[in-house]
Amino acid sequence: MSDSANFLDPTVLAGLDNLELRARVAVEGFVSGLHKSPHRGFSVEFNDYRHYHTGDDMRHVDWKLYARSEKLYIKQYEDETNVRCMIVLDTSASMSYTSGGVSKLNYGITLASALAYFIMQQRDAVGLITFDEQMNDYLPAKCRKPHLMHILRTLARVETGKKTNAVKPLTDLAATLNKKSMVILISDMLEDEEKVIATLQNLRAMGNDVIAFHLLDDAEINFPFNEASEFVDMENNESYITSPAAIRDAYLENLNEFLNYCKKKCQSSGVDYCLMNTSQPLDSALSAYMAKRAKSF
Amino acid sequence: MVFLTPLFLLGLLAALIPIAIHLIRKEKPPKMMFSTIRFLKKTSKKLVLFQQLQQILLLLLRSALIILLVVAFARPLVNQAVARLLDADPQSAVILLDVSMSMQYADTFAVAKKSVLDILSSMTSGDEVALIAFSDRAEIVREFTTDIDGLSSFVEGLEQAGFGATAYMPNLRLADQLLETSRFENRAVYLVSDFQASASDETNDGWKLSPGVTFSGLDVGKESSENLALTDLRAPEQLLEDAAGQKILARVRSTGTSYLATGDVTLVINDQIIDRQTVDLSDQSEAVVTFDADFEGQGSYTGEVRVSGDSFAVDNVSYFTVDVLPKIRVLVVNGEASDNWFDDEGHWFGLAVSAALQSPFELESIEPRVLSAAALRQTDVAVLLNVGSLNSGQAQALTNYVRRGGSVLFAPADRVQAETFNSLFADITPALIQRQGSSRDDYLVIADFDRRHPILRPLGNEWSARFENHWSLAPVEGADVLMQFDSAEPALVERTVGAGRTLLFASSLDLEWNNLALQGLFLPFVHETLRHLAQAENIKRDFEVGTSFNLGGNAPAGINISATDVNGEPLEFAGDGYSITARQPGFIKATINGNSLNYSINVLAGESNLAKAPVSNLYDRIINPDTSPVQSRQVQTEQLVAELERPQRIWWWILCLAAILILVESIIANRTYR
Repeated sequence: MSDSANFLDPTVLAGLDNLELRARVAVEGFVSGLHKSPHRGFSVEFNDYRHYHTGDDMRHVDWKLYARSEKLYIKQYEDETNVRCMIVLDTSASMSYTSGGVSKLNYGITLASALAYFIMQQRDAVGLITFDEQMNDYLPAKCRKPHLMHILRTLARVETGKKTNAVKPLTDLAATLNKKSMVILISDMLEDEEKVIATLQNLRAMGNDVIAFHLLDDAEINFPFNEASEFVDMENNESYITSPAAIRDAYLENLNEFLNYCKKKCQSSGVDYCLMNTSQPLDSALSAYMAKRAKSF
Repeated sequence: MVFLTPLFLLGLLAALIPIAIHLIRKEKPPKMMFSTIRFLKKTSKKLVLFQQLQQILLLLLRSALIILLVVAFARPLVNQAVARLLDADPQSAVILLDVSMSMQYADTFAVAKKSVLDILSSMTSGDEVALIAFSDRAEIVREFTTDIDGLSSFVEGLEQAGFGATAYMPNLRLADQLLETSRFENRAVYLVSDFQASASDETNDGWKLSPGVTFSGLDVGKESSENLALTDLRAPEQLLEDAAGQKILARVRSTGTSYLATGDVTLVINDQIIDRQTVDLSDQSEAVVTFDADFEGQGSYTGEVRVSGDSFAVDNVSYFTVDVLPKIRVLVVNGEASDNWFDDEGHWFGLAVSAALQSPFELESIEPRVLSAAALRQTDVAVLLNVGSLNSGQAQALTNYVRRGGSVLFAPADRVQAETFNSLFADITPALIQRQGSSRDDYLVIADFDRRHPILRPLGNEWSARFENHWSLAPVEGADVLMQFDSAEPALVERTVGAGRTLLFASSLDLEWNNLALQGLFLPFVHETLRHLAQAENIKRDFEVGTSFNLGGNAPAGINISATDVNGEPLEFAGDGYSITARQPGFIKATINGNSLNYSINVLAGESNLAKAPVSNLYDRIINPDTSPVQSRQVQTEQLVAELERPQRIWWWILCLAAILILVESIIANRTYR
């Protein structure tokens, strides 16, 4: 593994208190690990000419026009600021679960920070929504540098909420989107997945690009417990006494059924679905974003 | 199923350990916060139920595993084989259960019963068993039976040992005789006893059990015992009226294996405590306690000497009786009274009757002419000394007197005419007198006498009197000759007439015809004769438990006797007589012709000695040299089981099964939460 991979290790990143630093380390670590990008320079596009002034970069002189008119004109480019990205972060109680490493919420915050930083680096507008059973924070998409700091401060003070209800904030978000946007959902989706995915499908149907980062703890994925325990649901405090070893197979079967449903429904409706193990590095998330960004523009 | 090492079966308790752990650790599981339980709740109920069943299965497997290991170590053997082989060699056994008095010590008898039950439980079907409960004789005999359960119930029903002595030999002989009638060759005698040392010394004249009869002695006696026993008691049996200042002596002895230094001894007469003394045995094994007692007034007294302070109460009381009697009234009809004492026919007789310091007789001497029916009614014994003639009325009165229970002693001499005598007293005389047998040149002596007769039994053999003259007698039918001269002629003849009796002495009772009056035997002869005639025989009143005796003594048939035993229950008499056997210590109260008498029954002193002798002493004396060394049934069974188990090796298969169970348990346990 390259050295850059270490910077994407969620445990390492979680050790960084400064969220901006954490985001920058994540993104730069990711970028430095990339090969030559086939999408380089996609973000600028020719817009108009102006007269050359002393000191202008000679590389931007349109020599073909000079040949026809013998006047020096400088090509003017328009920044690509049409992409508006909304990061929707689930802060419900179940997101605070951790089996010993980084909690899903912490991982989600890091991921959201990294995405916001990365998006801002691309000079795209980025906004943020946090929610549990209701929308807690809403920051509209902007592309200014101070806005990034605002987003990062908001993420830094995120606290664990209660139950999950992703449908409402996503529905509200859909109502506010007046142009093509990118919606990034970061959640464990441990609620009524049918309604959540249906909402995502609606967003997609509205012409938005939708990425669903499905965060799960390693213990939730592999269920490594052995001793009989009373499992208490972190969101509704219901309990269930069982022997994990006895029902592991059944649990995993149920979980895979759930995950397959999510994946299948998302894929069938054009929603990018990315299952993330919180013990794994962030690069897959960033790669997924880049791929989506490339396809979109 | 039998086991070679059954002690290992105690390990079966370990099978409870998994269950106990299961119950102890049945605590609430720890709480674990989890993001969601929706995937847990969707698991199948059947799966959970199956897991619970797996838990129970595991529990059973673990318990079964322990049981199998324990059973394997106990070395099991299918007992049908043993039973079959044992049944193929059935046994005839006689169980001798000691029920002597010493078995009453502490819980000895209960232990003995348990030993007998253990023996019975070791018997196999087909065995036949006989039981003899014995003391100095066979108290209870249950002949051979195959109903072992019935015999066990019988033994369980035995309440307590008796009061008899211990005698092994007669009962071992009886057991041996029983075994002669047994069905099987395998014969055994089991003796359950406390093996008293005093009982082990009895002689057996070299007798031994029959060849092949095995002997097993089960010692149930206590190794340590404490006992104070009254080994001897001396009290007057008969006294005359107003007999004050009598001494009663009791000998107290510590007879247990543990020494007792002191004890309290109490004298009780007629249920009233007379005196109590403390006996000191600190520096001697026995001591004699002396009590002073007064017996005033005529009657039969009951007395007890009690000792206390030990652990064996049965021998702590010694019973005795004292009869205070009126004097016997003797009427002497002197046929040759004289002022010259030398010529007086009744002089020597009177001397003999009145010689004792306190004579038991009240003597009245009259001449023949004043003899009357009224005088006879006031007397117990009439003595006719050389009475030559009585009128017919006097003779008739005398006859009536005898028929109604009176007694007469005839001592005819020179004044008596044979024809007159024979005619007057034909109905009551024991013998007809025939002629005087003078032998001036020689003399006769008493050559033979009835040694069992009450008169002559206590007198011994020293009859050295010389008889220079006598009457030749012809005993009438039914009369008994008690003494004979060396000429074979009767010297003393007895006859029972009606309720009375008469005696005829063939010579005089002075020095005219013989020198008997100068002999040492004269006085006891006169006394015993008068006692006998007065029917005041000194009846033995003190007996030991187990003794048979006649309540009426030598009283003639037809008398009326009723009696109660020591518990106050009426006694039933078997047969014609009034013979009974004393079974318990205490007093037997009898009423004989309206007169109350008490008989004291005491325990046997030998049974108080609780010292033991080794079983081997008896074994060595009775076991037949031709009998193979004794192997108890238990040893036989153990050897047989070991022999059969060796090739069978069930334990090996059990261990294999246990190994398989371990494997199964491991597999299930790995698939099951704890």
